[in-house]
Formats: sequence, structure tokens, C-alpha cells
Amino acid sequence: MAERSSPAEVRDALARLVAAGPALRSRPRHERVRALGRALERLRAAGSAERRRLERELPDATGFSAATVREGLARALEPFSAAALDALVERELETLGKRRVAGGFEATAVLLGGGVPTPALPALAGPLVLGSPVLARPSSHDPVTARVFAAALAAEDPALAACLELVSFPSDDAAALGELLAAPCVVAFGSDETMAAVAARLAPAQRFVRHGHRLSVAVLGEGALEGPALADAAAALALDVALWDQQGCLSPVALYVLGVARVPDALLATLDAAFADAGARWPRGRALPEAAARLAVERDTAELRAVAGADVRVAARRHFTLVAEPDAPFRGSPLGRFLRVHPAADPEALLAALAPLGPHLAAVGVAGLGAHAARLAPELAALGAARVCPLGALQAPPLDWCHDQVGVLLPLARLSDLEE
Amino acid sequence: MTERAAIERELLAWMQGEPERRDDARFERLALALFAFQFEANAPYGRFCAARGATPASVRSWRDIPAVPTGAFKELPLRCFPAERRVHVFRTSGTSLARRGELELDTLALYEASLVPSFESGVLPDLGAGERLPMLVLAPSPAEAPDSSLSHMFGVMLERRGAAPSGCFVREGRLELEPLLAGLADAARAEKLLLCGTAFAFVHLLEALEARGQRLSLPAGARLMETGGFKGKARALPRERLHAWLQERLGVPEARCVNQYGMTELASQFYDSVLREPRAPRRKLAPAWTRVLIVDPETGKEVREGEVGAVRIFDLANTGSVLAIATADLGRRSGDGFEVLGREEGAEARGCSIAADELLGG
Repeated sequence: MAERSSPAEVRDALARLVAAGPALRSRPRHERVRALGRALERLRAAGSAERRRLERELPDATGFSAATVREGLARALEPFSAAALDALVERELETLGKRRVAGGFEATAVLLGGGVPTPALPALAGPLVLGSPVLARPSSHDPVTARVFAAALAAEDPALAACLELVSFPSDDAAALGELLAAPCVVAFGSDETMAAVAARLAPAQRFVRHGHRLSVAVLGEGALEGPALADAAAALALDVALWDQQGCLSPVALYVLGVARVPDALLATLDAAFADAGARWPRGRALPEAAARLAVERDTAELRAVAGADVRVAARRHFTLVAEPDAPFRGSPLGRFLRVHPAADPEALLAALAPLGPHLAAVGVAGLGAHAARLAPELAALGAARVCPLGALQAPPLDWCHDQVGVLLPLARLSDLEE
Repeated sequence: MTERAAIERELLAWMQGEPERRDDARFERLALALFAFQFEANAPYGRFCAARGATPASVRSWRDIPAVPTGAFKELPLRCFPAERRVHVFRTSGTSLARRGELELDTLALYEASLVPSFESGVLPDLGAGERLPMLVLAPSPAEAPDSSLSHMFGVMLERRGAAPSGCFVREGRLELEPLLAGLADAARAEKLLLCGTAFAFVHLLEALEARGQRLSLPAGARLMETGGFKGKARALPRERLHAWLQERLGVPEARCVNQYGMTELASQFYDSVLREPRAPRRKLAPAWTRVLIVDPETGKEVREGEVGAVRIFDLANTGSVLAIATADLGRRSGDGFEVLGREEGAEARGCSIAADELLGG
């Protein structure tokens, strides 16, 4: 990948990939899936050259601490096995029926986003499974992961790897972006503003798979409000918040404590200890100035509310900030390991508090819900949550998790019914 | 006379008598006096300072006065007077979901005394005393948006300096293009004119002109003043690109495009230096009764010249609220002024999560 690709280079790359498409699609799908699975396994294997390279290069490139990168990769890559890829293909493509066929587009452009590394992997592999060559622009915050995956694929299957090209250009290079967006299928990660800007540049016939920014929350039920259950839940939550410094869409930004009118002091103290422990094991990384400034303003605002007499309690440490709120309504978080803790008297209060998040809700991590679990899970899904999972598992989604409540492969596919 | 009244009397004399005169000793004295007053009269602020170990007895320099984060104005009333004395409220923009910040005022006298000389030196430095010019405003009128500090400012300046065909050309959230273009055609007969408003309204104007394939050629004495960011808007532009686009479509050179940095929580505003000091590098100049520090957001310590940090403002005109404000805006000290760094067009957030105030449109 060149340091900076010119618009002509992007155009040429797309043309090469489109030309390579027929040969790619002529190969049996299981061959492509097998090679992609082997490439994923190279990244997944602890101690492999690819994994070591990710661990070595990502801290500098992304700003996350080395310990956070190591732990985050270990947890996030564990589910990304060759067997999981097989299962994903089986679940989404093999069960379509004999008369429905799924094919890939002539080429797929992928605008990767953010500095959280692992979402890039299914985004790059998915179109290749379907037989669609991929032209990807990695995020400037993570130029590493896509390169390492491309190298792993080249080691396993050079012909398949030739159908994945990476380009690099600044986000304000409208000409280069225009060339990239000429692909018949476009996948983009980013803010709602980015999604709107990309959508405005596409023709109606182009497929656009958008992954806008999202956030997650955590819920503690009455079964996890004290004793060892609370300690376990607090440690699990601290891990979910610490990994990727709360930058991922699966990072919880708020904790709701069910069945209480006020967040108990003892619960806060347990969280404080767990977050301090997580901070020592996985230190917070380098904050971008804008994020640090936003965090300082939010932290100071919470402290001002607290001394002004609102029932707000603040634990502000070097690696994290906890703010106990007096009520349930959702409030903002500046990210960077800043967690608000809200009481929610009952499930209705919880659902009412989360309703404004609507389609921005990615996942809900839960612990100790007990009898409320069966009722709350579908309600949370109806609100927009693509995952409801145990606390501590938020940063390790399965390869086939329905990101944004859609499948992994099907949104990238052209489906046809071949009727007799 | 109360302590605050004495401070305001001296400030009014400064603003109206010798607004350009920077006087560090006078600033220090007034800042410490105002801090002592606000520490007592603004109870939440006083407790905030005390919790940080900062009291009138311990604070010896204006630099050490604790700054209130802008977000606090969304949370609680930060005023130094009883609610029943409130005569005006300015509110930050926002959606129905987001909390809006409020600046409560018991007098507009100092507020207006501060805005006028800053506006005149930043945007109208070539106008003689009493001279007027056509002012076409791309923002709602004060009557339509009484809680907008920006509309209020334009209203004050229209009254003091506006000449026919001045007016506001945003109504019910929409740019009134045809009346504006007619007004511009009329105003272009004058030697000098001012087109001013929100950056986002300027983008609407430019898009409309582009869609029509139309280019204007405003007179050499025209100047543009734009302010505000693009938060929550579908389209964002770096300032340099906006100014280049303005030059292309309106015929006003970039050197005559002035950006204003201001916020609802502040009584004073900061303008680019380009009209006042056309040969010097573009930077924001602070009114004499304000000071700006660029600080490391994590430590609160001032960063060195040229380094990026958070903008912290000390504004003596904020007599009725809090004089020291901590913002989440990034800036850089530049000689005797400073720069405010905007977010680049399409710049990627680092992660795929979203700060929820953005989500809620705050």
C-alpha cells in the first residue's frame, strides 16, 4: 500500500480488481472460505508472526497501551476461527435453499473506520467469501490490521490475496474517495455524518452497507448487587470498558443498576476497586487531545454537580472516571473509560432510559438479571440491541454476530431466485 | 456601591473609553476581585473552587482561578444574583433530546458594552465613528430567536452600524435566498458592506449559488464574518476551505473573511486579526478584558506556544456568572493571539463508538 494513493491509483486498483473478479468467482466457494479461515487462524494463533506483528505495531498506530492491545486481541480473535467462518457460511449461505443463490458484486469497496482493529477482519473477508474482490481504505487510526490480514492471506493463497487491495488517502481527498466509491458495493464504517456523506455520493443502484457509530450499555440485576457476584460482575464490566479504551461500539458507556432507587455506595466502591485493578493491568492509552479535552469537561462538570448538591458521586482516577447519577435518563459519555452508573427502579425505567438511543444501541452486557432476563432480552433487541450477552464478553463477539442487526455476509450478497 | 457594581463600573469605562488598551495589572486586579465576588455570590461555583482548594485567600493570579466547564451551564444555574432579577437568558443550540446550556443575565449593559468594541475592531476597523454600512445577516433576527446570543449580537450591531438594506435573512430555519440576493445586489452599490452569519448558513448560500451556477462579485470593501461550527450537521468544512469557497462564489478575498470564536457562555467574542492587522498572520485576538490560556486537558497546565491544548477563557465581562470557562475546544497559542482548531472535514473518530452528546445532538 502506497503512503498516499492518488485518485488514478485508486481507479486503477478498482479496475484491476474488477478484472480479477471472474477468476475469483470461478473458484469453488469452499476453497475461498478455507483459505480465508487459514488466514484468520494465523492472526488468531497466540505467538504467530502475524499476531506478534499486530501486538508490536498496533500500540503506536492506535494509541492503545500494549497491554490493552494484547488482551483485546486475545479476546476478540479467539472466536475468529476457521471453524467459525465455516459455521458463518453455513448459517447464512448454505441454508438459502437450492433455488436461491448468493453471489458477490464485481467489486466491493470497504471504508474501514476507527482504531478498534478486529472489525476490519470480517469486513475484508466477507466479500471475498462471496467472490467479490475488495478495495479497502484502512482508517488512519489503524493502518496495521488490514495490512497484516492481507499478508496472512498472501501467505496462504496468493491468488486470493491478489483480490484484496489496500489504498490510503486522507479523508478529505474527495477525488480519491470518489474513485473508491465507484465500486458497485460499498461498505463503510464511521459516524452518521460520514454515512450521510457517502450515501449522497452513491448512485441508487449501488449497494451500500453502512455501519454507523453505536454504543453499548451494561445492566446489573438484583442477582449481582452484592457479594462475590458483584465482585465478578464489576471485574467483567471493568474489562469491557478498559478494552479499546471504550472506543468500540461494544464498549459500555453506562451501567444501569436494576431494582434500586439510588446506586448503593458499596456497589460504587466495588466498581472503583475493579476499575483500578483493570487500569493497572491494562493502562489507558494515549488520548487524542480532542477526546482528552471532552473528558476533562465532562469530569469537571460531574464534580461541579456533585459539590453543587445534586446527588452525584464521582470517582475520578488516572485511568477512569465513574459517575453515579441520581436518576435513570441516559446522559452522554466522552468515552476514554468514563462510565456513568444509573439506578433503574424496574425494567420499565431501564427501557424508557434506553429508548432515546434507538438505532444507536449496539449491545447490552448483563449480569444477575434473574427472572427479568427472559423478558428484557427481547425488549432490548426490539430497541435496537444487536447483542445481549454476559458482562465480560462484550469485547469478544462471535464472528457471526449480527452487527447492526443484519447478517455478516447476506448484506454483501446479490441474491437470485432461480425458478423452474 | 457593591463590589460587583464597582467592578462593572470600571469595566464599562475600560470598554467604552480605551477598549484597545491591554493592561495586565488592571486585568489581574479586576480578575481577582471578580473571583472573590463570584466565589461568595455563586454558591455552586464557590463550592467547586473550595473543593479544589482555591479560595480568594489562596488564589494569587488570574491563571489560578478555577475554570468552570462549559457543560456545567447545561446542568445548573451559575449566576451571582437571585432568579427574580434575571432579565435575559441566552441558550446554547441543541435538539429536544439534548440539554441546552443557559447564560442568565441580570443586565445586558456590560454584555453589549463588551461585544461592540470587539466587533468593531475585528470586523469594521475601517469604519469611522458613526459610519454605517449595509449588514446582511445570515441568522435569525433577535425577535425570532430571543435566546440566541448570536442573534442578539447581530441585532445590537445592526442598530448601531447597519444601513439600508440591512437585515436578517434566515427565517424559521431557512435561508431566504431571493431576498438575500436582492439585498446583496442593492448593497453592492455601496463601497462597504458586511455579510455575516453562521458558517452553516454560508454553506447553504454557497450551495444554492453553485446549484444555479452563479458567482457574485461583491465590492472591494465587502467583508464576511462567519461563526460557529458544523456539529451535528451533515456537512462539515474546514475553515480554510470555506473561506476559499467564499472567495470563489462571492468574490471576497480570504483575507477579508473573518471568523469569530464565541460561545453562549461568554459575554465576549474573539475575532480573526485579518482586517485589523492585514499583514500579520491570521490569529484570534482577545479583547483587552479577556485572557486565553491553552492548557493540557489532562493536567490543566499551560502548554508551550505552538502546542495543541484545550482553550480556557477568562472573561471579565462575565460578571454575573463565572469569569473562567474551560472549553473542550482545541487551540494553539500564536504570538499575541491564538488559533482554534476545527475538526477536519470527514475526519474519523478514533473508534466506532460515539460520544453520546453527539448522538443526542448536544
